[in-house]
Amino acid sequence: MTELVQTLVLSLLLGGVYALVASGLTLIFGVMRVINIAHGAFLILGAFIAYTLWHALGLDPLVGVLVTTPVVFAIGWAIYHGLVRPIRNAPMSSTVLLTFGLALVTEGVMGFVWGNDSTAITPSYVDTSFHVGGVFLPKAQVYGGIVAVVVLVALWLVLTKTWLGRAIRAAAANPASAELVGIKVTSVAALVFALGLAAAGAGGAITGVLYPFVPGSHYLWIARLLAIVVLGGLGSLEGAVLSALVFGIAETVTAVYVSPAWATAVPYAIVFAVLLIRPQGLLGTRLRDDAVTA
Amino acid sequence: MSLVSIRRGATVVSLAAVMSLGLAACGDGSGGSSGSGDTLTIGASLPLTGDFSQPGKAAEQGYKVWQSMVNADGGLLKKKVELKVKDDASNQNTIVADYNALISKDQVDLLLGTFSSLLNLPASAVAEKNQMLYVEPAGGSPDMFSRGFKHLFFAQQATADKQGLVFADWVKSLPASQRPTTAAYPTLDDPFAAPNVDGIRQVLEGAGIKTVYKTTYAIDTKNFDSIVAAMKAKNPDLVVHGATFEDGVGLTRAMLKAGFTPKMFYETSTPSFADQYTKAIGEGNTEGVMYAVSYSPDADTPGNKEFVAQYKKMYGSSIPPEDAADAYAAAQVMQAAVEGVGSIDDQTKLADWLRGHTVDTILGPLSWNADGSPKSEFLIGQWQKGVAEVVLPPDLATAKPEIGWHPSS
Amino acid sequence: MSAATSPEEAPTGRAGASTLWVGRGIAAVAAVLLLLYPVINDNRYYQNIIILSLVFAVAASGLSIITGLAGYVSLGQGAFIGLGGYTVGILATHHPDTSVWLWVPLAGVVAALVALVLGFVALRARGPSFVIITVAFLFLVQVIAINWRSLTGGTEGLTLPLPTWSADIMNWPFYYALTAILALQLLLAWWVRRIKLGTGLVAIREDETKAATVGINLPVEKMIAFVASSVFVGMAGGVYGYYLTFIDPRGMLNILLSVQTMLALLVGGKATLWGPVLGAFLVEPLNEYANNNLGGGNTRLVLFGGLLILIVLFLPQGVLPAIESLLSWLRTRGSAGLVGARIGTGGSLASLTERLHPVEREPGAAVPPMLEVKDLRKSFGGLKAVDGASLVVPEGSITGLIGPNGSGKTTLFNLVDDTIHADGGEIWLAGERIDGLSPWTRAHRGLGRTFQITRLFREMTVLENVVAAQHSFSWSQLGRIAVSGAEAKAAEELLEYVGMRAFRDQKARALSYGQQKLVELAQVLMLDPKLILLDEPAGGINPVLVERMSEMIRELNSYGKTFLIVEHNMPFVLGLCDPVHVLGRGRTMASGTPDQIQNDPAVVDAYLGDDFVLEATEQVERAEQERAGST
Repeated sequence: MTELVQTLVLSLLLGGVYALVASGLTLIFGVMRVINIAHGAFLILGAFIAYTLWHALGLDPLVGVLVTTPVVFAIGWAIYHGLVRPIRNAPMSSTVLLTFGLALVTEGVMGFVWGNDSTAITPSYVDTSFHVGGVFLPKAQVYGGIVAVVVLVALWLVLTKTWLGRAIRAAAANPASAELVGIKVTSVAALVFALGLAAAGAGGAITGVLYPFVPGSHYLWIARLLAIVVLGGLGSLEGAVLSALVFGIAETVTAVYVSPAWATAVPYAIVFAVLLIRPQGLLGTRLRDDAVTA
Repeated sequence: MSLVSIRRGATVVSLAAVMSLGLAACGDGSGGSSGSGDTLTIGASLPLTGDFSQPGKAAEQGYKVWQSMVNADGGLLKKKVELKVKDDASNQNTIVADYNALISKDQVDLLLGTFSSLLNLPASAVAEKNQMLYVEPAGGSPDMFSRGFKHLFFAQQATADKQGLVFADWVKSLPASQRPTTAAYPTLDDPFAAPNVDGIRQVLEGAGIKTVYKTTYAIDTKNFDSIVAAMKAKNPDLVVHGATFEDGVGLTRAMLKAGFTPKMFYETSTPSFADQYTKAIGEGNTEGVMYAVSYSPDADTPGNKEFVAQYKKMYGSSIPPEDAADAYAAAQVMQAAVEGVGSIDDQTKLADWLRGHTVDTILGPLSWNADGSPKSEFLIGQWQKGVAEVVLPPDLATAKPEIGWHPSS
Repeated sequence: MSAATSPEEAPTGRAGASTLWVGRGIAAVAAVLLLLYPVINDNRYYQNIIILSLVFAVAASGLSIITGLAGYVSLGQGAFIGLGGYTVGILATHHPDTSVWLWVPLAGVVAALVALVLGFVALRARGPSFVIITVAFLFLVQVIAINWRSLTGGTEGLTLPLPTWSADIMNWPFYYALTAILALQLLLAWWVRRIKLGTGLVAIREDETKAATVGINLPVEKMIAFVASSVFVGMAGGVYGYYLTFIDPRGMLNILLSVQTMLALLVGGKATLWGPVLGAFLVEPLNEYANNNLGGGNTRLVLFGGLLILIVLFLPQGVLPAIESLLSWLRTRGSAGLVGARIGTGGSLASLTERLHPVEREPGAAVPPMLEVKDLRKSFGGLKAVDGASLVVPEGSITGLIGPNGSGKTTLFNLVDDTIHADGGEIWLAGERIDGLSPWTRAHRGLGRTFQITRLFREMTVLENVVAAQHSFSWSQLGRIAVSGAEAKAAEELLEYVGMRAFRDQKARALSYGQQKLVELAQVLMLDPKLILLDEPAGGINPVLVERMSEMIRELNSYGKTFLIVEHNMPFVLGLCDPVHVLGRGRTMASGTPDQIQNDPAVVDAYLGDDFVLEATEQVERAEQERAGST
């Protein structure tokens, strides 16, 4: 019983971080119909920036979120205008290939800047836990989970309570009509792309504390994030949060009760199954583009 | 290399002219030295980037230390040694291209091996096809030596499946009061780590130590909390962990986080990474961790002091990492064969020479079976008071083995 | 190597033919060089580069079928190299006494079978979902290869025996085997794009929904495409595995193999025959150069990634098509395009006697219904776009369907040809119930349909657009040559009839709206349908063309074609149609002769009335059309 509780607690702490990062990816897709394969790479970028702040200035990586978020936001804004905007009307496969290229370039650049060695952010609390009745709660996970939820709530407030948020939702629902009521869709798209990447940047600072990373770690992340987003329904924020939690549980439970070797297969199996059985995901709406009449 | 006889007749001048137009990029490489001139070029491709970059870079250091020492000593066969190291990015397609390039384009005179079984397997096949001696510093998978290769040699004491046996025998020999009764065996799915752990498990199960947990995880596993939680629930006395580096650190830290500190803790590879290891998990937490190791910086082997000194001079640390020492030893083995035969023109002779001789290296004396696998025993190391000691076998030990893992942070 | 042999790039005129021959000449010289290279140069480094380039050329050429023709972007192509390698590796280790070469064809079969599975997935997903699926597919294969230890050896991989032949010619067998496989692959790619299967695939790429309505059997054609895109790739992977003598999941199933394959395809030109080969022979040596001279690992990532970005941004068509369009621009500079040419006066149906016969009808006799719709329903969210519509189209009639904007006319068409699934109701065509049948089967049963906003396959030529239609399904028909011979002759006759023959080699996107309407009609006629649904045939075209349109409808009708026409142009409808059905709020509100309809007060009221429910329905319908039009 304790083992099960322990497993679930660890799953949920993990799921919170997944939710934050996946929300950025699904937001970008929802508004722009762009699947940002480089999302994982920017997560790792966030981790490296947090590492440098911690290593050079002694800044706690979870405080470093305050720095990585705006930095990656700015990068995202620039990338949108430089690379994504010119092809925003191209077929979706073009944007997939473009962002894939972006991921490779980012990986290579990180390799040049920070090297290809395994990097870990290890503030003092990283190897300690709270112990609650036989269950251990690693402090890093607990703090990381809290920060993730705070950022996620902030993002949610931006999307629901501000004019920008309404503009974003309008642009997602119907770009043409949004233009009619005076929303500049390309500006909104730039902000959304930047905001989405910023979520990855924030998540990077947190995951950097939880796991060691190398520039090439982004493949694993993008596989996971795509699985989460697909499971939740492409473009659905609530779906992404829900499926991130489901996913955290599925991954941990597989690792504990089946085999850790198969835990890495969970994302791919989920993607396969979901797209076959329910292409619109848990909470998504069916896209005409995705659903073939056959 | 005399491969050309059939084709010479077909070299038509006019065609060659067309070729040079059509495949301009593919003209002959700048001609190599091939035993002539006053330098010997030695080629290797190492994983300087990618997954194996950590040990790959250490191996490069080992080769470079050897190069500088050999040249200071008058060179190899009285020729200056030049080292050509390519980066294969931990990628198998690249390593095949790299060794082909070293042999055909750069026309190196001798080869040295790369790091990890995964990369040595395809690379050694290229060398074998070209009938060139291939001494590899790190690639102990038993599979390496089942292919009937004649030019392949492993420059460590034992293949992976036999590396933990000294430790297993020692555990078996402990008095009942101190002997663990249950054990857990998490291991990375890796051709080096997994056979190592399997070898130990078989001995200990035979000795009646109960296996309560056994799992294999994929190389990209980052989240060790779930493995540790499962292990903790079984509460074994002994944990035998098959690791490379990053995952060893990850699992150890997860164990500390969970407050799970078994009575004994054995881990492959990771604890041999000297400074990097203590930094990664904290010096206090290393106390009592045991591991299999091919090399000890304090070893009394011939030439080791000089190696350590030169390493410190070049790279600033007085504790050379194991992979640097292994690489150095591989170069020593190759050097011994070349000097023993006195010529490099027929590399099959070099291989034959190695099969018939024992070579003294900084790892100790090495000798080989017909298939190129080594015949000696591994060392078992243990961290004691922040120092990596060799504790087994007794005749090579620098300290006595102590029972128990006592992390203190 | 600019041999322009893909159907959509079919060169026109003499200048095109000479380019074609120059291209073939270059290809021939390259082939000779390729064949002679190992004989005259024994440098294994370059042989290794060529061997790798050959593997990627086969993979990229295979990918050109599924991605270039059918438009399904796959990042999982590398998996077939790996599957081939594993097949050979597993069989070779289990049967050490048998020649390894024996297993190479089997590697192709295994790859093809797995491709069928992936093809099955493609029946459910397209666009970004499909790309994600292919990546997941690759990783899943990798995870299975890692964990199925007893078969694959897990991460330790499989080691193959070293070849037994003389070390002097060590690379030759690999080199020539791969060259032969590439030749077969190219032959297959060349053949596929010449037959009806190829035009069908391009149609799927251009507009999958529309393709289904012109009789293209989507699942079958996609499945074949997947198999065709993988079978030789599996064989090449098998040879490659033997060449490496070592197969493991991280090397053979590395996603970078897929990326390099995709890059080769994009660089060369994805819908061309030679582009993928050219791309592979550019990218692999570049890869080697970067690795040897620019510092390996990270440089290569930046190089590959940067190249991918640049290609997507600046050269989305690839090198070969760019050269081709440059050449054709140089050639046609100054001479006016054909688009401004006049539409032909049109041929007579007499020229089509092979497929059409006049039908004598006895006046007054009871006519069976050609189409009968009973209680058809479709709602979008809470809005009932079609709400229990029922109507009958008598055989041999030209039936009109009118109604206010948003009354559900186009939605009704979409339900009849299954462009949108109906929620309920029955559809009978010529006495046979067809609801529940796929769109292409409905087309094969004799249903043809044009769209309100024309939906031609934009990147295909006019001729190809017409040839793409498939009036029945049979395996032999898929293999029929499309771009010449009987199929092309029939299509040209139809084009002559609608007056568009002069435009046969124009891309459809270059045509004016009216011209597109005519081509779409010819396309539908290629199906030899019993019933033709025309959605606003007179909308947005000039009065002369409107006149010609109604003339053609009458003439076709006299040859036995039944019509159901949605139209807002009242004189056009009332002059042409009998009976006329009126749709309002998604249901039939009146039916009768033109006279009866004109004088029905309810109808007049509906056209003048302006209540909000109608407006809401109209929005739904318009949105739906926009979406349909934009796919």
